[in-house]
Amino acid sequence: MRDDMHEQALQLIDKRQVEGLSAQERDRLEAHLEECAQCRARAQANERALQRLRSLSVRVSPGLVKVTQERVHSRARELSEDAARLRALWISCALSWILGVASAPLLWRAFEWAGHYAALPNVIWEAGFVLWWLLPAGAVVALLTWQRQRAGRVDDYTNLPR
Amino acid sequence: MGLATCWFMNTVEAEAREVARGLRRRDPTLIDYLIQQYQYRLFRYLLMLTGSREEAQDLFQETWIRVLEKGRQYRPRWRFEAWLFTIARHLAIDFLRRRQPQSLDALQPAGTDRPLELEDTTSPSAFEQAFQGEEAASVAAALRHLPASYREVLTLRFHEDMELEEIARVVDSPLSTVKSRLYRGLATLREWLKDAQT
Repeated sequence: MRDDMHEQALQLIDKRQVEGLSAQERDRLEAHLEECAQCRARAQANERALQRLRSLSVRVSPGLVKVTQERVHSRARELSEDAARLRALWISCALSWILGVASAPLLWRAFEWAGHYAALPNVIWEAGFVLWWLLPAGAVVALLTWQRQRAGRVDDYTNLPR
Repeated sequence: MGLATCWFMNTVEAEAREVARGLRRRDPTLIDYLIQQYQYRLFRYLLMLTGSREEAQDLFQETWIRVLEKGRQYRPRWRFEAWLFTIARHLAIDFLRRRQPQSLDALQPAGTDRPLELEDTTSPSAFEQAFQGEEAASVAAALRHLPASYREVLTLRFHEDMELEEIARVVDSPLSTVKSRLYRGLATLREWLKDAQT
C-alpha cells in the first residue's frame, strides 16, 4: 500500500512539471510530501534540475546577428528584383496575348494564303496556325518551370501551429 | 477574462497582425527587428536541436532567410515563435538529410517515439561554449547525454513555456510522444545533475 502511494507520488511529482496537476492531485501530493522525506527529496531534485536548466543563458556571437541581417537585406533585394522581372514578363505576356487576339483574323488569312500558295493540304497550314499561337505560351511555361526549379524545393509553411 | 488579460491578448494579436503585414511586404527592417528580438531563443533552440554551435549558427542565418522568403505564409493567428521554430526545425532536418544521406532512417518518423538522432559532430564543449551562468558546465554536460529530441522538447516546454499541444504541432508528433519525451528527458536530466552534484 505504502509502495503504491510512493509510486503515485513519484508520478505526480513529474506530472506537476510536465503537464500540471488538478487541484485534487495537488492536494494529494502535498499531503504526501509533508510526511515523506524520500518523495520530498525527489520533488526538490526535479525543481533544482529545472531551475538549473532555466538558469542557462545562451551566448550569441555579436557578428552572427549582423551577418544575418546583411544576408536578409541582400536576399530581399534579390527577391525584389526577381519580382520586378516577373512583373515585366507577365505584362509582356498580356500585351502579346492582346495583340495575338487582335491580329488572329489577319494571321489566319496569311496562313491560308501561304498554304494555298504552297499547295499544302488545309490540315497542315491550320496546324501551323495553332502552333504559332501556342509557341509563346509554351515558352513562358518553360521559363516559369525553369525558374521554379532553380528556386529549389517549394516549402509549405501554411499549415503550422496556431 | 480580466481586463489586463484582454488588453494583453489584444496587444499580442495586433503585434502578430503587424508582423504578418510586414512579412507579406518582405520588409527587411521588420526582419531586422525580429532577429534582434528572437536571437537568443532561436539560437538556443537550434543549439539544443543540433548540439553544435557552428551548425546552429548556419541554421540561424538560413532560418531568417527562409522567414523572408516564406513570410507570406505566416498567419497572425499563429504564435510567431512557434512558426519560427517550425521553420528552423525543417531546415535542421533537411541539413541532416544532406549531411548524412545514409542515416535517413535515423530521422524520427511522424507518429513514432523514435528520437531524432543528430550526430554530435563538434567538440564536446559545444554547450559549454554557448551557455553561460553559474550552473552552465554541469547542465551542459547533462545535455550532452540527452538525445536531441529530448533536448528539443525540454527547451520548448521549460524555456519557451509552450503548451504541450503547441509543442506537438511544432515537432510534428503526437501529444503522447511529446509527453513521453518530456518525462524521459526530465528523468535523465535529474539523474545526471544529481550525479554531478554528488
